[in-house]
Amino acid sequence: MARTAPNDAAVAAVLGVPASAATGSLASRVGRAAALVAFVALVVVLGLTLAPANALELQYAVSLTLFAVATNLILGFGGLVSFGQGIFYGVGAYTVALGWMHQSLNFTEAMVLAPFFGAVAAIPLGMLALRTRRLYFSLLTLTMSQLAYVIAENQTNLTGGTNGVFGAMVPTWLLDPHTSFLFTAAIVAVAIAILWKVVHSPFGLVLRAIRDNRERVEALGVNVYAHELAAFVISAFFCSLAGSLFVVYSQSSYPEILNWTASGVPVFMAVIGGMYSFFGPVVGAFVYEFASHYLIEYTQDWQLVIGAVLLAIVLLRPDGLAGSLGSLRAWLRRRRPVEQATVAAAPENAEGTP
Amino acid sequence: MARFLTETIGTLSDAGSLFVVAAGLTLVFGAMRVINLAHGTFYMYGAFVVTTVAGTASGLRFWVAVVVAALVVAVLGAIVQLGVVRFVVGKEPLTQLVATFAVLYILADVALHLWGSGARSVSAPLGVSGTFTLAGAYLPVYDLVIIGTAVLVGLVLWLLLSHTSLGWMIRAAVDDPELLQSGGVNLRRLHLAVFATGALLAALAGAIVTPQISVAPGMDQSIIVSSLLVVVIGGLGSVVGTAFAALIIGIADTVGTLVDPTWASTFMYFAVILVLVVRPWGLFGTPER
Repeated sequence: MARTAPNDAAVAAVLGVPASAATGSLASRVGRAAALVAFVALVVVLGLTLAPANALELQYAVSLTLFAVATNLILGFGGLVSFGQGIFYGVGAYTVALGWMHQSLNFTEAMVLAPFFGAVAAIPLGMLALRTRRLYFSLLTLTMSQLAYVIAENQTNLTGGTNGVFGAMVPTWLLDPHTSFLFTAAIVAVAIAILWKVVHSPFGLVLRAIRDNRERVEALGVNVYAHELAAFVISAFFCSLAGSLFVVYSQSSYPEILNWTASGVPVFMAVIGGMYSFFGPVVGAFVYEFASHYLIEYTQDWQLVIGAVLLAIVLLRPDGLAGSLGSLRAWLRRRRPVEQATVAAAPENAEGTP
Repeated sequence: MARFLTETIGTLSDAGSLFVVAAGLTLVFGAMRVINLAHGTFYMYGAFVVTTVAGTASGLRFWVAVVVAALVVAVLGAIVQLGVVRFVVGKEPLTQLVATFAVLYILADVALHLWGSGARSVSAPLGVSGTFTLAGAYLPVYDLVIIGTAVLVGLVLWLLLSHTSLGWMIRAAVDDPELLQSGGVNLRRLHLAVFATGALLAALAGAIVTPQISVAPGMDQSIIVSSLLVVVIGGLGSVVGTAFAALIIGIADTVGTLVDPTWASTFMYFAVILVLVVRPWGLFGTPER
């Protein structure tokens, strides 16, 4: 008699995975939510008041936060180091660009279909890549990314070849930088909210449990492969969405967005920001994008600077900026009880305090 | 027949240089369990050093330049090992990949300062330039130099790994580093020697192919992909597998060009995917530990 696999919520309960990252007192949860709202408000106000060129730059950074968070679903929470998410970013971008070039899809249709194309492409690629583990998985996804790049570069009739596709593929109502910023920010906000739900659902908890102790989860009867494949497909869906937003920003699509170094970018963003924190990659995306954008203006040596930053973080702070923030908070918390203890040890002083 | 000979020699030559680069990558992985994304950087530096040292002279000076390039880059490799790689040995694959990618970025920038962004070229030294005739085919003499180098490197590596105490230590370092260390072997010095040798092999390959290619920035990122394809097909850590895989990649590329030029460059990727579907750990590798 075939036994059915246990459901994810039950597995999460057995494994004792914390039900949510947002544990802690109500006050700290409210505080965190307020900080988030303030941050989103700040970005929106900036996007609407900045000069067009800067608003456009901010829009690009916002779209990259989605790329980074979507990649981090499998990287930080699934423990799958993929150097191939650029494939899906490219599928999203090329869906919009080629739909326009071949006059087969209008802008709205292409934007709606792009993430689904990415997800569909992810099924065979994921099935193939997940046959391998750890380092081989990274190298195989890297290979696939480079294959996608070579195809986009050489199939000139289909993709426009090395030069890519440039043109008026974005409808006129979206051309105003402030409108396109709002459009991008709204889509990214909804997408990141959905990803938050995924990470904090029973499915997300089991995914983290697989990352931490694969054998144990397997022993509980969980289909590990199905969970990893599902995560891979969900990640691809949102990477493609981010890719379609790239077209809104640049009105173009070209092979370089698919190659292995491009696939590395969201990984680096997650590493810089902190891959074990949900919002770490958001921070990483802003830091990476603004750093490279402004560095190019001031120095030719942006590769040197970014390389040095990556090296410093990966060697000194493997949990990224978010991790540093966490240890700072822990350090502050550790200081406070010490003060209280001093107070308690001196009863004559304690009498005066409530 | 003439066509067949031309293609065969060309394929062997490509596979030969690819084998020498990839052998360095797999040697380092075999002994240290580190995959070095900056390995292609050593190849590029090897080529650039040759263009500087050899200049336009095409005689003995070219061979001197090849030796100088290999040695200079071996020293560079030692510096990278001491400065970065030694801290990521035994760490997660992600840490190793990001750290060595950072090295790739940094050294690519340094190379831009040293050699500029333009393409450079070197002509093959007299005596090994030009063509020879065999069964009606005109074949480049220099291809034989590359094939010879690859065979020599393969033989030396095989002798080193299977017939010397250093080779035993390298293989033992993979299986049980603690035991090896408690046996009085200085693991750090062993890693340093292996990593410098890996860099030397990459630089040797980069140096030896200079007469046939144009030397320019970006070489580092393209050769590392081909080398990764080779070591993944062959099985990480296996020198024999690397030799077979380099041949497979070379043949896939040649056949691809003959069948359909617009799809040519995809053949080697499909070869990799095909092999990994059948054996996810590569032809001569061991299942994931």
